[in-house]
Amino acid sequence: MEFLSSICPPEILCQILVGLSRTTILFIVASGLTLILGVLRIPNIAHGSLYMIGAFIAFSVSKWFGGGTTGFWMAVVLAPLAVALISLVVERGIFAHLYEREHLMLLLLTFAMALVLGDLVKMVWGGAYRTVQLPGSFKGPIPIASLPIPIYNIFLVIIGPVVALGLWLLANKTKMGKISRAAAVDREMVGAVGVNVSWVFAIVFVIGCFLAGMGGALVSPIVNITLGMDHTLIIEAFLIVIIGGLGNVWGALLGALIFGLTQSLGILIWPQFGIVFPYAAVVTVLIFRPIGLLKSTW
Amino acid sequence: MNKNVYGKESWPVLILFILLLILPFFLTRFYIYLLALILVSGLTAMSLNFVLGYGGIYQFHHAVFYGVGAYGAALTITKLGYSPWIGFLVGSLLAAFLSLVMGAICVRLSKLYFGMLQISLGSLVWAIVYRWYSFTGGDDGIHGVSMPDLINSTKGSYYFTLLVTAACLITMYFIVKSPFGSALQGIRDNPVRGEAVGINVKLHQLVALVIAGFFAGVAGVLFVVVDNSAFPDMLFWTLSLEILIMCLLGGWLTFLGPMLGAAIMVALRTFASTFTEYWTLIQGVILMLVIIFLPEGVLGYVNAKIRQLRNVASGGKA
Amino acid sequence: MVKRVRPTGFPFVVWVWTKKSLMEAIMKKEMIIGMSVVLFGFLAASFSFGADTIKVGIIDTYTGPATAYTFDVLDGFKMATNKVNAKGGVLGKKIEFLTRDEKFKPDIGLAMAKELVLKDNVDILMGTINSGTALAVSDFAKKEKIPFFVTFSKSDKITGEQGHRYVFQITENTLMAGRAAAFELAKKPFVKYWIAGDDYEYGHAIADSVWTQLKKLKPRVQVLGQSWWKVGETDFTPYITAILAAKPDFIIVATGGSGMVNFQKAAKATGLSQKVPFYQHTAIELSTLEPQGLDAPEGVYGTANYLFYYPDTSENKAFVEEFRKTYNRYPKIGALYGYVTGVLIEKSFAKAGKVDKEKFIDAVQGMVIDSPVGKLELRACDHQLMLPMFFGVTKKVPQYPFLIASDIVTIPAKDYMPTCEEIKALRK
Repeated sequence: MEFLSSICPPEILCQILVGLSRTTILFIVASGLTLILGVLRIPNIAHGSLYMIGAFIAFSVSKWFGGGTTGFWMAVVLAPLAVALISLVVERGIFAHLYEREHLMLLLLTFAMALVLGDLVKMVWGGAYRTVQLPGSFKGPIPIASLPIPIYNIFLVIIGPVVALGLWLLANKTKMGKISRAAAVDREMVGAVGVNVSWVFAIVFVIGCFLAGMGGALVSPIVNITLGMDHTLIIEAFLIVIIGGLGNVWGALLGALIFGLTQSLGILIWPQFGIVFPYAAVVTVLIFRPIGLLKSTW
Repeated sequence: MNKNVYGKESWPVLILFILLLILPFFLTRFYIYLLALILVSGLTAMSLNFVLGYGGIYQFHHAVFYGVGAYGAALTITKLGYSPWIGFLVGSLLAAFLSLVMGAICVRLSKLYFGMLQISLGSLVWAIVYRWYSFTGGDDGIHGVSMPDLINSTKGSYYFTLLVTAACLITMYFIVKSPFGSALQGIRDNPVRGEAVGINVKLHQLVALVIAGFFAGVAGVLFVVVDNSAFPDMLFWTLSLEILIMCLLGGWLTFLGPMLGAAIMVALRTFASTFTEYWTLIQGVILMLVIIFLPEGVLGYVNAKIRQLRNVASGGKA
Repeated sequence: MVKRVRPTGFPFVVWVWTKKSLMEAIMKKEMIIGMSVVLFGFLAASFSFGADTIKVGIIDTYTGPATAYTFDVLDGFKMATNKVNAKGGVLGKKIEFLTRDEKFKPDIGLAMAKELVLKDNVDILMGTINSGTALAVSDFAKKEKIPFFVTFSKSDKITGEQGHRYVFQITENTLMAGRAAAFELAKKPFVKYWIAGDDYEYGHAIADSVWTQLKKLKPRVQVLGQSWWKVGETDFTPYITAILAAKPDFIIVATGGSGMVNFQKAAKATGLSQKVPFYQHTAIELSTLEPQGLDAPEGVYGTANYLFYYPDTSENKAFVEEFRKTYNRYPKIGALYGYVTGVLIEKSFAKAGKVDKEKFIDAVQGMVIDSPVGKLELRACDHQLMLPMFFGVTKKVPQYPFLIASDIVTIPAKDYMPTCEEIKALRK
């Protein structure tokens, strides 16, 4: 790995790796968002809230199991499942009846949901910071090209493509996946051939929200788990989905890469305005390709 | 059909205006201040509705113009030291200019894509304002903006706000009723047909956006008059959605609906927060109820009921 | 959106009465009735009856990460006022308080302040952790001539260049904290420094303050470079790499709020805390150390105005004991601020003799009270509370499930606060 540091300065390499671990989280959440947007045509603003709930549940689960290694792994497994359950209830209870409404209405409805969920989180967990402990094996740095990169960041960089691969397999190799892709393009036709479109939607919605919860659970050890983490993430996730192409999971990956890397490298170039770079990148992409970089399902 | 541009039922509105004029003599200062805030929010919501309800344009990040208007005025007065009246002008024109620029970039697209590009552009503006703390005060915002003595008191700022808002609304009403307004609505309903009839769709939309941006900027300036401050949150996407909710709540298919929506939101926020800290929850629940049961907003629902009654009364199509 | 719009217009000229318009007029009436109900609702609600209490209006952030600090302020204040009210109040009136959540947004905070003063007629304003709100409310307090006690915001403008008769600061500010730190750092052998922190007003203010004073006390020191990250940053690895590459002796880390914990976590994760020592204001405070438990890094230098275990005086022990009994947790710094504010309010009204804002201000200026950290004076020339500052290093100890400060040095207020002359010069 040493040759890497000779061809590019350590800071840049480091920033790229950091950017990639950020990309993973952004990708996981954005992929869920884009699935829901692509198949159900719902711009799910509550996605950020579900991400936040995932993080909080991860905290609680981890605490329940006494922290450490068991706590962490149980949290990573159980939190997304819990979020998926919540989303199932919400979907069947509310959204299922409103699919014919206009996009704008659905967007505002999910926004309302986000407000409600945000306050519910406050009610249940209170306002304080939470943190999740890393399992012992993940603590500390690993020297890569003489840079101290935290092991957990590497773990995230590996998980990203794994999830992407998993989603690809799900979408292309399973019957469910194929039906969903068809429903994304033409739901009436799919209904006409006898498939219960409503249940297809429910499953896709739940998977999307599962991903949001997973994102939250995975990010929980490295950030402060706080109220308000939904607001910042949701706008980023939406922008990623938009530049990637609505409904396109690979687009979400591409978008997340652009977003994560421009932010990390932007910080090197102009630290004060670091966060401006991803937005500028998004604007640039949209001016030249307003429908997104990759094919959308709309 | 447009014989009577001056409206057939102006007397209830006139009464309302007179009411608003004399109320300050009966209310405590706090409620005067609150009314002024309602007018400001209402004007912002109305300016959004100009392009959203009448123009059918998915203006997802309208708050940017409101915020830029406020910052323009506040910065001109505090950093550049000019008189407040110049500040007001600068703020409004700056908002209109930004609207022109952003509109020119976005107007090539339609519907959702327009909205998305606008959100990204708006967020970019927000990020710049937020991070440039040496100039804009960053997340602290700008405060203590001095105002001319005439409008510095609670009552003074209220009357100024009332008069300016009324003037803006009248202007907006005339624009809506004018041929331009009709063309705009035609474009909203059927842009293809609009093109076919020879209307330059994109130009009309751009002009509408600039008008809306200008009025939002004026609202931002009025906020500075009432509160003597400007904050970066005025440019954040959550405020844009709140303004959207005001339009929706009040009824975006009616002229004054957004004003009513603003009144309800501000009143609810003020009173609900004294009873519970979970005001956001209540806001969300109310919004959900309105979306599910009253998709045309409060005023729209009322209108529909009236139309129903009238249909029954006149025995057939109106 | 294919419905036709029916403009229910708003014009001001004589209407034309037609049959159709009668129906539309009724429809307008609905709108008028609707608006009138809202307006009359205001009118009715605006009749509030004065109560025979002293009302304190507290604006603070009770949502989000800041709550780790603000609840303590409220609880400390409650503890003080409960004691007063148990004795029958002050001047025969009980102290009553109203809280408002500004959600860390200055515009909401200012609106809440206006509501508290104009609608609820509070006698005193108190709050907040958000410096933007504090400055905006301070302006408002000056306009309304109502005393405002700043309990947590650390901007030095509050009692410095934008100070005035009606604003008081209970907490330390960035200028003070920086100077106190420099006071101790100048005694240490470090020469080559790196400056880093949250890229916003607080971060830069603290860093500037430390550095200016340090350079004054020890001209030999040099800064090798600076790193500034966005507020709320969680991935410090790239910055830490750059810092390690430069090989400084010491790092001044100017973080606030959630940045404190995030940076300490990253410092531990990357091994920075073992390689290069660094300083953060409030690094040794319970608010920063408790959430991390035993995972917090050791050897971090910090300053703080309150440690529940130091000094080990009877006053402090009694305070901690009472707080734990009432709230079932150790008091953090906010508790001291809130408690002291309560005591100041009580004693000043008592001295003033009546519930008069101007007399209150005359009484509170220069007042000296007893507190868990000893006698405290609210300096008359700038309305700044003169708190002692503690400087220490984080360390694991067996008796607590979190780290505490060790090698504690107490720096008295007069040694690190700006002088009255300096304040006067700033306010010109």
